[in-house]
Amino acid sequence: MTRSGKLTLSVSLLVALLAFGVVGWMMWSHTGSPEVYEPHPPGSLTFSNSIAPIVFEHCSGCHRPGESAPFSLLTYRDVERRATQIQEVTRSRFMPPWLPEPGHGEFSGQRSLSTDQIGRIQQWVAEGSVEGDASAMPPAPDRTEGWQLGEPDLVVKMVEPYTLASDGTDVFRNFIIPVTVPTTRYVRTFELRPGNPRVVHHAQVRIDRARSARHHDEQDTEPGFDGMQATESLTTDGHLLGWTPGKLPYEGREDMAWRVDPGTDLVLQLHLLPSGKPEVIQSSIGLFFSDRPPTQTPVVLRLGSKTIDIPAGKTDYVIEDSYQLPVDVEVLGVYPHAHYLAQEMKAFAKLPDGTTQWLIWIQQWDFNWQDEYRYSRPLFLPGGTKITMQYTYDNSSSNVRNPHHPPRRVVYGPQSSDEMGELWIQVLPRKRFELTILKTSFVRKDRAGRAAGYRHALQLNPDDPQTHYDLGTVLSAEGHKEEAITHYRQALHLRPRYYEAHYNLGNALMAQEKPEEAIEHYRQALKIRPNFSGAHYNLGYLLARQGSLVEAAVHLEQVLQIQPDNAGARSMLQRIRAQQADP
Amino acid sequence: MSAVAAGGSREVWPKCCCLRIRSTSSFLQPISLYGFMSAPVDKREGLQSWGVLRHLVCWGLTVASLSFSPGCDPSERLYLLDLAGQQVNPLDPGKAQVTVFLFTRSDCPVSNRYAPEVRRLWEKFAPLGVVFWLVYPDPAESVATIRQHVKDYEYPCAALRDPQHTLVQWTEARVTPEAAVFRPGGKLVYRGRINNRFVDLGKTRAEATRHDLAEALEATLAGRPVPNERTPAVGCFIEKLP
Repeated sequence: MTRSGKLTLSVSLLVALLAFGVVGWMMWSHTGSPEVYEPHPPGSLTFSNSIAPIVFEHCSGCHRPGESAPFSLLTYRDVERRATQIQEVTRSRFMPPWLPEPGHGEFSGQRSLSTDQIGRIQQWVAEGSVEGDASAMPPAPDRTEGWQLGEPDLVVKMVEPYTLASDGTDVFRNFIIPVTVPTTRYVRTFELRPGNPRVVHHAQVRIDRARSARHHDEQDTEPGFDGMQATESLTTDGHLLGWTPGKLPYEGREDMAWRVDPGTDLVLQLHLLPSGKPEVIQSSIGLFFSDRPPTQTPVVLRLGSKTIDIPAGKTDYVIEDSYQLPVDVEVLGVYPHAHYLAQEMKAFAKLPDGTTQWLIWIQQWDFNWQDEYRYSRPLFLPGGTKITMQYTYDNSSSNVRNPHHPPRRVVYGPQSSDEMGELWIQVLPRKRFELTILKTSFVRKDRAGRAAGYRHALQLNPDDPQTHYDLGTVLSAEGHKEEAITHYRQALHLRPRYYEAHYNLGNALMAQEKPEEAIEHYRQALKIRPNFSGAHYNLGYLLARQGSLVEAAVHLEQVLQIQPDNAGARSMLQRIRAQQADP
Repeated sequence: MSAVAAGGSREVWPKCCCLRIRSTSSFLQPISLYGFMSAPVDKREGLQSWGVLRHLVCWGLTVASLSFSPGCDPSERLYLLDLAGQQVNPLDPGKAQVTVFLFTRSDCPVSNRYAPEVRRLWEKFAPLGVVFWLVYPDPAESVATIRQHVKDYEYPCAALRDPQHTLVQWTEARVTPEAAVFRPGGKLVYRGRINNRFVDLGKTRAEATRHDLAEALEATLAGRPVPNERTPAVGCFIEKLP
């Protein structure tokens, strides 16, 4: 090699090293290394030139009259009056509230401040919160009052207002909101007006086409009903229907609209935080319809553990769950959920080519700011990708949010003093015909997880009728009818008026070709709950099959009274009428 | 940890007090209101010009009057405004009572969430002779806002304004809600949180495990020293006056 050749080589090596260094540094700084704020020249930062744009973009959405925040941040005076407070809460990243770590999933509506923005605020306050040239100030944001997406096609609201007591811990309350549509409609998106934004901390909507939740409402004398469990079984139709203060409503997609039928109820679950005085809440939901039925069906994959069992004092309890995608999908959004013991949450995907793709990383979970996160661009994951979620829990007294003092063993459960660990992932199969493959595959995985959870719960509490019932439903769906029947019977032994258990036992017996016994249990269910349309329907069907046409017709008519659009009942009734007219 | 006023066991008398001026009329404006303001204690910002001036005026007067006496009683000259705009001295040495001040503001969600607890404390301690006052330190809060706030949150006690931060500086309160307890004779015996339910902003225990204000009141009523004279309070910062 010549001398010049050697020189060229060393120069290229040097360039390559430098380039590698720069790229490496860029990658390193991109993956969340602690960035350092570069101070601006002293005295150069004013409210007008530097702080107002940050406040108006990141704070004023909530900090304005009629919205969720306790005070407005729309003028210099508003901000200067609270300068130290703002300095502190931005430094600690308490505000604006945003849990995901940057660089581990790009989400739309990201609210967090950059290192530079936080630094500017710190510097500006430390330098005396100067206003600067008021005439150069950007105009305060002009946000639409009321509905952010425009006038909804239909506004439905809580039937009665609910009064939240002034004191105490968080309240989880469900409210039934009937959807008054004359024919089936398809909902592109919804917008929630909480009614009292300062106490509604987050909300979830579920779809109840069978009006099954009304029963819970009837049993509770106050408006709505308590708890987080009652709505567990209701569908969200493959959507993440959540709401958090300050979030701009999602525009929705026409091709993925969800169905509401005449008689459909929405069940609105509100997480309410007492404010110190009694508060009246009456939320409204604005529905925006699509003209066409959907052409795409999203699926919500629920990963997590239902066998959570954390010993008292344990600081690093970990749950992990994985699922291997059978088909290509696009991930649209995620909704991580846990209660007060969860600390760190990680979810990532291992692609077949060996690369890892982050779905979300939350270093410090905060139940109060749970949210759904939509990717700014759908995330493509090919079939064969393994999705993993991993959550860490602290059940010691050093976790101040621990609901138990002193700490005690905490197991899986829906109450806020229990613990949960779930990640809901909304995906859309790339090829429409692969939807069934995905659903079938996931349902199997989900049932196995649920069965494990119910069995674990029965070990802890063998006399819980609901767990026997739930295990029965899973076993029955898996085809284990005999075992399911045993658990339904156990549930009824423990709670004789458990009409759902009578009904499901009836179904399992019908599948076992034991119509006589099935009929008996449907009758029992109807004795307890006379307007139970499912029991009327199945009883009508079995009676018709046995030739008891008159009685069958009575039950099918009952179905139509409750659900006028029930096509199955209508056609059976027509056949009975025809048979009666022409025996 | 954010928004936590540091505890400490500092001398509780205002640093610039004890001007033995008998004539209240000549003492009222502006000296009366600044008489109890401590020298600037904001270590981060250093001495601001007005602070320096205040400091000099204050100490100048002290030296000039040659009447500085370390053991004097500041409660003789504590002036706050009631909602009618009248100056009042809630620590009137003529009344031998335990007094608790609760710093608050109408738009602080933390202090608002404590309203029911304040009512409970009042129901327990007012019959034992403890006098409760709400203190609104933000000069921008109007009397009308305060009246509405007291009504909405059903506060059982009367409200005072501290627009010049006389009491804020005396007690070194930093956030709302924060409590200051004075024993008869006007000595500050407790300053800090109501209880430990709030650990940080947005971070609360399911239930409080320490009831510091109640303990302070019980001890003071019994003539015992308060076990923890200073505790860190969590809430909304009381902004320094411009």
